[in-house]
Amino acid sequence: MTIDAKTITRRTALGLLAAGAGGYAAFGPERRRLQSGGRVVLDYWEKWTGHEAAAMKVVVDRFNESQGRIFVNYLTMGGIDQKAKVAIAAGDPPDVLGLWNRNLPFFSQCGAIMPLDQLKDYGITEASYAKAVGPLVFRGGRQLAAPSTPSSIALYYNRKIFEEVGLDPDSPPRTIEEFDVAIDRLTILDPDGNVERAGFLPTDPGWWSWCWGGFFGGHLYDEKTGLATVDSPQNIAGYDWYQSFPKRWGLDKLRRFQGAPIDNPSPYRNFFSGRLATTIQGPWLPMFMDQELGPGNFDYGACPFPVPAALADQPPYGPIEADILVVPAGAKTPDASMEFIAFTQRPENMETLCTGHAKPSPLSNSSESFVRNHPNRAVAVHEEILQSPNAYTTPWITGWAEFGMALGAGLDQIWNLKSPSAAAPLAEVQLEASEILQREADRRHRRGQPDPWEKA
Amino acid sequence: MKHDSLGTGLLWIGPWLLGFGIFTVLPVSLAIYYGFTDYTLLESPIPVGTQNYERMLNDEILGTVLWNTAIFGVLSIVFGSILSIALAALLSKPARFQSFWRAAVFAPSVLPLVAIAVIFKLGYDPDPEVGLANQMIDWFTFGAFQGPNWFGSGFWAMTALLLMSLWSVGPAVVIYLAGLRDVPKQLHEAASIDGVGPVGRFFHVVLPMISPVILFNVIIGVINAAQVFAVPLIMTGGGPERSTYFHSMYVYDQAFKFGDMGYASALGVLQFAIILTLTGLILLAGRKLVYYRGA
Repeated sequence: MTIDAKTITRRTALGLLAAGAGGYAAFGPERRRLQSGGRVVLDYWEKWTGHEAAAMKVVVDRFNESQGRIFVNYLTMGGIDQKAKVAIAAGDPPDVLGLWNRNLPFFSQCGAIMPLDQLKDYGITEASYAKAVGPLVFRGGRQLAAPSTPSSIALYYNRKIFEEVGLDPDSPPRTIEEFDVAIDRLTILDPDGNVERAGFLPTDPGWWSWCWGGFFGGHLYDEKTGLATVDSPQNIAGYDWYQSFPKRWGLDKLRRFQGAPIDNPSPYRNFFSGRLATTIQGPWLPMFMDQELGPGNFDYGACPFPVPAALADQPPYGPIEADILVVPAGAKTPDASMEFIAFTQRPENMETLCTGHAKPSPLSNSSESFVRNHPNRAVAVHEEILQSPNAYTTPWITGWAEFGMALGAGLDQIWNLKSPSAAAPLAEVQLEASEILQREADRRHRRGQPDPWEKA
Repeated sequence: MKHDSLGTGLLWIGPWLLGFGIFTVLPVSLAIYYGFTDYTLLESPIPVGTQNYERMLNDEILGTVLWNTAIFGVLSIVFGSILSIALAALLSKPARFQSFWRAAVFAPSVLPLVAIAVIFKLGYDPDPEVGLANQMIDWFTFGAFQGPNWFGSGFWAMTALLLMSLWSVGPAVVIYLAGLRDVPKQLHEAASIDGVGPVGRFFHVVLPMISPVILFNVIIGVINAAQVFAVPLIMTGGGPERSTYFHSMYVYDQAFKFGDMGYASALGVLQFAIILTLTGLILLAGRKLVYYRGA
């Protein structure tokens, strides 16, 4: 039978189109679920690239070789949280998903992830993790995620410059007061007052804009009441200290010294080149030193970030974050996903992964060889922060992305000296944050969901 | 016979109709619906009436992004139009390597915007060793002036984006060039005989004659400016102090970063309404200001 294009009827035309669409739906692309060998295939989405992606690949390969029932298909991508939202909403999520701990409140509140209660069967409990790591992934006694690699933030310093100015590199500043004195000694200004070397700059690299109040004992949010506490006296003190840098050296001179407060070709360039004597950084810094400057060519030290004298005798303060693994709602084979996640949590696999990332282990104990062979000789400092009750992270709220953006805009005002103190900009942020939290509460109530502090 | 022709027609335009329905009509309809709901993308939408629209009335950030978008739109259209008309006027004159110059003006606009934004971001680095912009300022002023920190203040960040927007004037230049070639020579000659100089001829002959082209380019400019997104996202991230935070960025953030698809949809509808209104107003103004030959 031939179809003459001139005599095709409306019914035939629509029928052909419907047949085409039906054929696509029936025989079009479909995700693999089973390999030819009968293994269950897990799609694992992760956000890492380069050496970080490679470190997890080692663990994935190890898992795939360790048994014959499950095969993990490891895919890395950018913008993973946004892609994951769309995939979960469309009902076609990956089986295992790598996110950040800051994503967890939103995903868990929306029911977009499955609790990992089954990990108990593998002997994993909150006690398995470092003291500050457990609360990042457990809520109301349930495990919602498993940490993959955690990080804690510390002060790194150039030992050579310390020696040059007569500071003891083995005894870095413990208090903000000592640190301020050290900063003045470490800083070099030219006769016109231009900064040639900065002792420290809180905006270099400027990645943890939410952390400054925390060193002064402040919190951005009170979990017990669900209220924002952005303009607390501790936070004002922290951000006043943050503002003291443009005040002491001049905003224009700092702008010229530092460049734009955005990512630049190498975010570490000022510290590595000796233009910056100390910097706030994560545990991965020495790995980049080795990559950019050659192994062992930079003599560094690290310590917990200084705090006001009144807090100096306490366990260390410091911001922490974690990459996490979750099982999205709608994952087709959750048992297999749990088995893979449990495998990653074994000490030997966790240490392989964290060594590859140059990060501390999230587990309650790490082996002596892990510390000895770690690419960061100061990894113990980071582990100490992970074990500290004074470690802190971004608030457990679903609207952190919006809250953080409001805080960022407030910080721009503080840094640009739009106000003589941090108090007024923080009060504005407090107002904006309160509105965000109120909208969150309205949404929960509309959906009949309990407030987080009720569950706790 | 009529039915047969209709069937044939449907068959040929069917794939397009299907795509238009699935990828345009359906999303637009859903966006209008979601604008009246509380929708996180990960949970079912719950109708909330006009709450999202009421929220706009008290949303200070919305006021900021609309203001930024308006400023960027007006200035980029004004500067872009002046530059494109000037370039088109230059390129319309007989010159050696004319095709090369025309291609050179158009070529930048075929490059991917994201790649260009990354290059410009480096170009605006305040360190003269890295940033070409400040290197040039340094060179042209014999070191008397140091270039600004382009992304350190709202004024300079917006200026940087405006300058970058001139990068892609190529398509407008081509259209203006076609418009200029369409201006009858007799009118130039008549004006010259009447003693009108080149400047007078430009304002009294050329501009009225190319006014339909200007109208078209302004409308396209308004639509593009209202949707400016990728370049500021890459170059400034909306900062500092939200000074380069634009409407499309706010819609994107609400939808995918903040998980408020309902409000994002309402903002999208607002954007559509603004573009539609502005286009209508410009067309209305065009009735008085635009000269159509033969009309």
